[in-house]
Amino acid sequence: MEADGGRDLSRAAELTADPLLRRLFLRHAIDESHHAELFRARGRTMRAALGGEGGSFEARWITPGERGGDDLRVEDEGDASLLAFLHLSEKLAAARFAVYREVVRDEETREVFRRILRDEVFHMRYTRTQLERIAPARHRRHLWIARGSRLWKGYLRVATAVAGWLGTLVLLAQYFLVLPLFALAAKRAARRERPGWNEPERREQPGALERQY
Amino acid sequence: MRILGISAHYHDSAAALVVDGVPVCAIQEERLSRRKNDAAFPLAAVEWCLAEAGLEPDALHAVVFYEKPMRKLERILVTQLRAFPRSWRSFPQAMKNTLGEKAWVKGIIASRLGVPPRKILFTEHHQSHAAAAFLTSPAREAAILTADGVGEWATLTVGRGSRAPDGGCAIELLRELRFPHSLGMFYSTFTAFLGFEVNEGEYKVMGLASYGKPRFQEQVRAILRPTADGALELDLSYFDFHTSGRRAWSSRLVEAFGPPRSPDEPIDVATPEGSRWADVAASVQRVLEDRLVELTRALRRETGLRDLCLGGGVALNGCANARILRESGFDRVFVPPAPGDAGCALGAALYADRIHFRCPDRPVPDHPYWGCPVDPDELERLAREDGLEVERASADRELLERVAEELANGRIVGWMDGRCELGPRALGNRSILASPVSAEMRDRLNREVKYREEFRPFAPAVPAEVADRYFDLPPGGARLCRFMSGVFPVRPEWRSRLGAVTHVDGTARVQVVDAEVSPRFHALLRAFGARSGIPVLLNTSFNLSGEPIVARAVEGYSTFRRSGIDLVVAGRCIVGKARASGVRLEEEAVS
Repeated sequence: MEADGGRDLSRAAELTADPLLRRLFLRHAIDESHHAELFRARGRTMRAALGGEGGSFEARWITPGERGGDDLRVEDEGDASLLAFLHLSEKLAAARFAVYREVVRDEETREVFRRILRDEVFHMRYTRTQLERIAPARHRRHLWIARGSRLWKGYLRVATAVAGWLGTLVLLAQYFLVLPLFALAAKRAARRERPGWNEPERREQPGALERQY
Repeated sequence: MRILGISAHYHDSAAALVVDGVPVCAIQEERLSRRKNDAAFPLAAVEWCLAEAGLEPDALHAVVFYEKPMRKLERILVTQLRAFPRSWRSFPQAMKNTLGEKAWVKGIIASRLGVPPRKILFTEHHQSHAAAAFLTSPAREAAILTADGVGEWATLTVGRGSRAPDGGCAIELLRELRFPHSLGMFYSTFTAFLGFEVNEGEYKVMGLASYGKPRFQEQVRAILRPTADGALELDLSYFDFHTSGRRAWSSRLVEAFGPPRSPDEPIDVATPEGSRWADVAASVQRVLEDRLVELTRALRRETGLRDLCLGGGVALNGCANARILRESGFDRVFVPPAPGDAGCALGAALYADRIHFRCPDRPVPDHPYWGCPVDPDELERLAREDGLEVERASADRELLERVAEELANGRIVGWMDGRCELGPRALGNRSILASPVSAEMRDRLNREVKYREEFRPFAPAVPAEVADRYFDLPPGGARLCRFMSGVFPVRPEWRSRLGAVTHVDGTARVQVVDAEVSPRFHALLRAFGARSGIPVLLNTSFNLSGEPIVARAVEGYSTFRRSGIDLVVAGRCIVGKARASGVRLEEEAVS
């Protein structure tokens, strides 16, 4: 997710017309890539120390990449709304890393969190300062809109997941109730197929390209 | 005629515009959206193509989609039915995935572009590959072989193409192999088994193969075996891609080759595990090459033709292409710069033009530079705004001398020139360049710029007229290397002096640069040769790991700032990393 976040920020740097923001987004992108590498390296070390493969369950359906639970489309955001969004994300991340740093007992992992937390605090500060610079009269409004947007996107994710489950149920019902006969026919047809080359269906008929089938 | 070709919805979507029989522009959506392998409907690519040609959608005579969506839906549904009831897990996902957008392409094109449905045409997937391979080649008559994962039903086709003196064209696909028997799926399954991303990590399997011994080749041969009629079949008991959406291989594959590699696990070929993975890769690569050589030999005997056009994602396998050229009996082998699905946008448009509308054949310019141009002024503005040192060369000669000097001094250069390439390879217009001399440069590039696995080789670029001096190219090899489509030995006497681009097995994926195709890049190679004694440069794509190749100056600049690239060049504008201003960013940011 840190690596995805880094790509979002480099894209933000490419899109902004503000030179200072561009430099800051680039620096932020480099920090995020660095964090991703720190996590990967530490993860590899811990995994090797554990000596086993372990389970690998990833709940990405609920946090579909890009800044954890927050879905971001950089192209659709202006500088102010992006800064407001980033500020909230970084604030949340800084709070989370502060907790991790306190609860983790392993000194090396704690050092990773300490280094990341230092960067997150800088990110949190610069996003707020820059938001106030580019939208001096409306920065609070941007922050409230960003909070609302996070809530709305959260609702959309849950709604999409629920709709996905319902769709799966309906399709599974069709699968077991409607398809068995067709499946039988398909299997019988498959048994008749010989391995090897097949003659292409006739394609040179007039209007062949007008058909989707 | 003005014909727009579109490929979309699986991986690497793209758009291409053909006007009066000649391509005008073509670009992958990822280059504009900046999402690697972007499979979304390529609206940005379409809009850019139309804007570049100064056309509105209603000026188009046809919009051609690169495959038949309903036939594809049929294949997906029938595959699910054949695997009943084992397919119960994958069925809902497959249906949601297909019925969401992919099946309704005609409506999507009509609504997004505002063109009437009668103008929307559909080629078959492998027709598009065949057209991209044959109609962009200079061959008058050629055998055609296309191979990829899967199109509608076909996974591999053989046929022939011809250009008549009166300008008429024909592409006849003689036979096809059908899903699930697929060379592409075979290779992709092992790509995933070795812990690499499918449709992205196939290069890594090829690179890793050089470190291994093909000690599993007999097992692999039993999995991918020839049929009595000279085609191929997979032993499906080793695979699950046709029954499950969760995993491509079955437990039998694990019994035969050992546990799969986890994607995060580092590869150290000195360890027994690393060595096993390398041996699996070597075995898979060997068998793929052998089967392709057998197929192309048979095709040569059958057609009696001297030229072969290869298309489909499997044609990106440079080692296999080189063996086909050497061993199949064909004199020349043509692989387009984008043999995968992105190139199908161009193939579909050309197929409609030549075959459907029967327009007379016109030569297609033999280069890959169909994308958006770079704007040196934009690079200069960005660098000046950030307080970086900017130089403007007064003439090409001055620029080339300056860049060659920097390269000879061991600097890494981000090089942007003209229009960006169509296809997965940077061929001198969006390239990171460096001296090829020492292996330390390869390690530095991996460490500071590309952030990628150590076992992956870097490619060299060499002027066509001296390519034979450094590389052991067979007849026809230089043409195959025009778009970096072949892997050939570096001559033994040069291997130690080309350490950064010579792979562990003594080979390299060479780009042979023709002065007519790429004049500035060719001149840069010559200028570097004049300084260093070797007119060869390390040429790798101008991007960072996980990102698409840069298209515009701003993306090149962003990549330069985030990596260990020393110098970025666009047109005659040169930007270095030394800052003109000493103000600390942190202070500036929070004050």
